[in-house]
Amino acid sequence: MIETTGSLKRRLAVWLLVTVTGLGVLLMVEAWRSAHRASQQAFDSQLESAALTIAEAVQWEESEPVMEVPAAALQILATQQQERVFYAMLTTDGEPVSANMPFTIMPAWRAQVANEPLAVTTTFDDTSWRLYGREYDSAGWITHEPVQIWVGHTRKGRKALAGELFERSVGHFVAMVLLAGVLMILTMRVALAPMRRLRHLLRRREADDMRPLDTRVPEEMRELADTLDHLFARQRQSRESLLRFTADASHQLKTPLAGLQSTSELALQSADPAQWHTALVTMHDSAERTSRLASQLLSLARLRHTGESEAVELVDLNSVLRETLLDWAGRQVASQHDLGLAELPPEPLWVRADAWAIREVLGNLIDNALRYTPPGSQITVGVKRQGDEALMFVEDNGPGVTYEACHQLLRPFERGGRQGTDGSGLGLAIVDSIAQHFGARLLLETLEPHGLMVKLYLPLYPPPYQPRHENEQAP
Amino acid sequence: MKMLSPLLACRLVRQTCVLVWLLILGSPLSAFASPLVVEAALDREVVAPLLEAFQVNHPDIELDFRDRSTLEVNDLVAAGRPALDVVISSAMPWQMARVNEGYARPVDSPQTRNWPTWAKWRDEVFGFTFEPIVMAYRLDLSKHMLPPRTHADLNTLLSTQHDLLRGKVTTYSPLTSGIGYTLFQQDARYSARFWDLVVGMGRVDAQLESNTRDMLEGISEGRYWLGYNLLGSYAMVWAQEHPEVIVQLPQDYSLVIMRMAFVHRDAPNPQAAEAFVNFLLSREGQRVLAGKTPLFSVLPGIIGPYTAQRLRDQAGERLYPIPLNASLLAFVDPQRRNAFLDRWRREFRRDDGK
Repeated sequence: MIETTGSLKRRLAVWLLVTVTGLGVLLMVEAWRSAHRASQQAFDSQLESAALTIAEAVQWEESEPVMEVPAAALQILATQQQERVFYAMLTTDGEPVSANMPFTIMPAWRAQVANEPLAVTTTFDDTSWRLYGREYDSAGWITHEPVQIWVGHTRKGRKALAGELFERSVGHFVAMVLLAGVLMILTMRVALAPMRRLRHLLRRREADDMRPLDTRVPEEMRELADTLDHLFARQRQSRESLLRFTADASHQLKTPLAGLQSTSELALQSADPAQWHTALVTMHDSAERTSRLASQLLSLARLRHTGESEAVELVDLNSVLRETLLDWAGRQVASQHDLGLAELPPEPLWVRADAWAIREVLGNLIDNALRYTPPGSQITVGVKRQGDEALMFVEDNGPGVTYEACHQLLRPFERGGRQGTDGSGLGLAIVDSIAQHFGARLLLETLEPHGLMVKLYLPLYPPPYQPRHENEQAP
Repeated sequence: MKMLSPLLACRLVRQTCVLVWLLILGSPLSAFASPLVVEAALDREVVAPLLEAFQVNHPDIELDFRDRSTLEVNDLVAAGRPALDVVISSAMPWQMARVNEGYARPVDSPQTRNWPTWAKWRDEVFGFTFEPIVMAYRLDLSKHMLPPRTHADLNTLLSTQHDLLRGKVTTYSPLTSGIGYTLFQQDARYSARFWDLVVGMGRVDAQLESNTRDMLEGISEGRYWLGYNLLGSYAMVWAQEHPEVIVQLPQDYSLVIMRMAFVHRDAPNPQAAEAFVNFLLSREGQRVLAGKTPLFSVLPGIIGPYTAQRLRDQAGERLYPIPLNASLLAFVDPQRRNAFLDRWRREFRRDDGK
């Protein structure tokens, strides 16, 4: 089930928008501050030069400081923006010697100016002013008192300059964002192109085309392409095995059906009821075998195509083994062989599997052993604990198989080079499927001097409803 | 003869104006609660055509034009009582100081935006006239000596002909006249030799008057032969009526003053006040100024006998308008003023002992 959770483009766009907005706010705040700082500095330096020019004009006459305010200083103060201007010369005790406007200079400011120049923003008759004060030592013939020069102007020009600087920054930023947006769109197109190419490639594919992908992908998509290739390969395999299985199954079913047909034809040509009876018996046997074959095919198909393993119960291998063997020992087919049970471990061995499946495995293995060994052979069934696994085995002292054939035996319809016997060749394949289904390992081992041992390793589980520590104490 | 027509109009208007104002004062059509008060250091008869034109354009505004001295106007602005709307004065530094103190209200209109930048400050105060400063002499002078054409000529005459000229020279008193003080300050800024001129004035015992009209009357009556730093606007009109008076635009440099107008911050009729200022600065107002008053129009492109453009064509690049900027504020600085007046007195009396 594929669920669509937003689009990549939208996600990128949202991220870009969020980032740009956040960054933009920070930048704007900074731009605002720096614009004001810059204009403040520019205009404060005007105040400073005006104060300097005025200080140049200070002279002492008798014991009085006299200052003929220079016209140039006033023009510097007014600036291009034609600010209203203020200037004053104060004695150190705050008495204005000369002032063009009745500004109150705070005593605190005067005290500060005594140490270093000071620039302050203040309000005077509803207008915002910037004042700058500075103390100058001036040598007179009689007194040597310092004087304070205060200058100031309205802040229209500062605001205008700051606004202009800020607007310029905002303009730059907006242009940058627009450019980044356009570039982002282009980048997204370029970056998502391989994705689009892959999509087109997959869409154009024939339904049964399982060949590996033939395309160029960027590093980031390598894994996706590999996974797709892997998926294709697995599908190809399973398809091939399915085809082989179907072909084999058809072939297997065809042989007994052909036998049935020829037997029935022969019987029909004869008028002797005794021959009919013989033919019917043969046909009955054959039908029985065919039916068994069909049920085996069915269970194999079922095992192969059950997708997810459902939650299965814990079963005790010992009891299942004991029951199955008792069942088989009583059967007609086992009468010619020596079917025995190895010594079972004293405690129950819990594995996670279905009892019917274990029975099916054992049944198949025992059936195989009975079928492919000469009468009188020994067949031993047993179970052992090996570490955290249970080992279930069926061994015989029959002719055994070659090492190379071991693997092939697990394929359906393989009979270890003994196609003459009447088995279906599905037994081990079913066992293998079941083993895979429950996470067990299946091993075939040839025995010396002769014989075959089929081993099945199943993971052990702690016993149900029992405290864990008992299990840990177990050897 | 060409110059006579505006003058005639002036005189005619002078008689009719009173009547017009009486009519307007009693008019029930008046849309404003109180009349528009214009406090002006500007002779009513000189500016009458302009006022009349304003009334024609704004019949709904009741105009109260009060002609006062520059000093009175300046004091009124600070006091704010009685309430006043528009302030007009030729005492440029004082006008500037009041504007700097925040007594003006900015006027934003097409007229103010269109106004030349050199003739306005902060869009609050506007120089709307262009009045050259001239020398004037009596014809008698030319019988005895070559009349002065430049400041240097004048200085030479004062030192070479001081016996003939004793008591016959007149100029502004810097102590009693704001315009006179401003002009001398500006003269001193342009040339250090200005002080030689002051010494010369003292040498011939120059008579100090407080307005141009008194100087012109003295010249006409024959009391004075030579006047220095007269308002050209008044002198030119006077010379047309009094052929014995010759007006000389100094050939080296000629100062120009501007009447400055602003709307008072606490104007009771701000809209009417703005309308008045806008009219002063409008093409129509300036056309009246150029055609019917001797105040000279500032606005380029205005046709008339009295325009800055025409003056420039005559005097070339020698016109030096007193700059309308913050440097004017220096002139009203008390310490600077005292220092200047002290020096003036000192230089004026330098030769007394001799």
